[in-house]
Amino acid sequence: MTMTSRDDDRLSKTFAALANPTRRAILAHLARGEATVNELAAPFQLTLPAISKHIKALERAGLVTRGHLAQYRPCALDASPLAEVATWAEQYRPVWEARFDRMDDYLTQLRHNRMTEGHHD
Amino acid sequence: MTDNVGSQDAVTIARIFDAPVGLIWQMWTHPEHFAAWYGPAGATIPVAKMDVRVGGTRLVCMEVTTPNGPMQMWFTGEYREIIENKRLVYTESMSNENGDILAPSDMGMPPGHPTTTEVRVDLEDLGGRTKMVMTHVGIPADSPGAIGWAMAIDKLAAYIDMRR
Repeated sequence: MTMTSRDDDRLSKTFAALANPTRRAILAHLARGEATVNELAAPFQLTLPAISKHIKALERAGLVTRGHLAQYRPCALDASPLAEVATWAEQYRPVWEARFDRMDDYLTQLRHNRMTEGHHD
Repeated sequence: MTDNVGSQDAVTIARIFDAPVGLIWQMWTHPEHFAAWYGPAGATIPVAKMDVRVGGTRLVCMEVTTPNGPMQMWFTGEYREIIENKRLVYTESMSNENGDILAPSDMGMPPGHPTTTEVRVDLEDLGGRTKMVMTHVGIPADSPGAIGWAMAIDKLAAYIDMRR
């Protein structure tokens, strides 16, 4: 309801990136700290280009960042898109805040009406 | 399954209103008051049926005007706890106008969105003013797919938090 199509699109990318066991294992590895592509490839029977492809998919989803200066361009985890998909409830926070603002306005209006009626008595 | 509240996804908002606790209770339990504040700006609440007793059902219609004409969204639920002027707990699911529950994914919600959520309202009398704490929490869905996603993401997020 409160989702914009851009949010939706970003979520789709995050989910697409997570919909693969190798990529989830890469994220779990990176949760322990930065790692090079070689280190990430070690537990898998995959070629470096195959691992690189998975890492690129995670980069596109904003889940992994690569160092630009270091010689081996280590990969690091960026969990913020994950936090977004994990908390559907946070999408409701602004909805509820706006509702309670209106409740406040409505209560003020009721009090005002009562006072006005009081003057007529 | 995620039974402990700690791992459940929830939003909690606390507010103090300059109104007596009895009136805040009515904001939630009297349809005419509820309809006055619940809908977003530009929306109306043409239907608010509230059988306010434990096990009683509720059915709320929200109508928004779109370029293609009015669009209605229906929500149903059940009252779980009612302690007048203190605590109100009810469930909420998207539904049709008959109160038949619809899957969130069919309504365009992202994967992981629970079919049923629970709204908890706790009120505290501050002597003419009222402290209100509202918690909106997801109830794990029945569909294996939804549970799978929610659990996978919960676990991964928890794992990552732990190691950061």
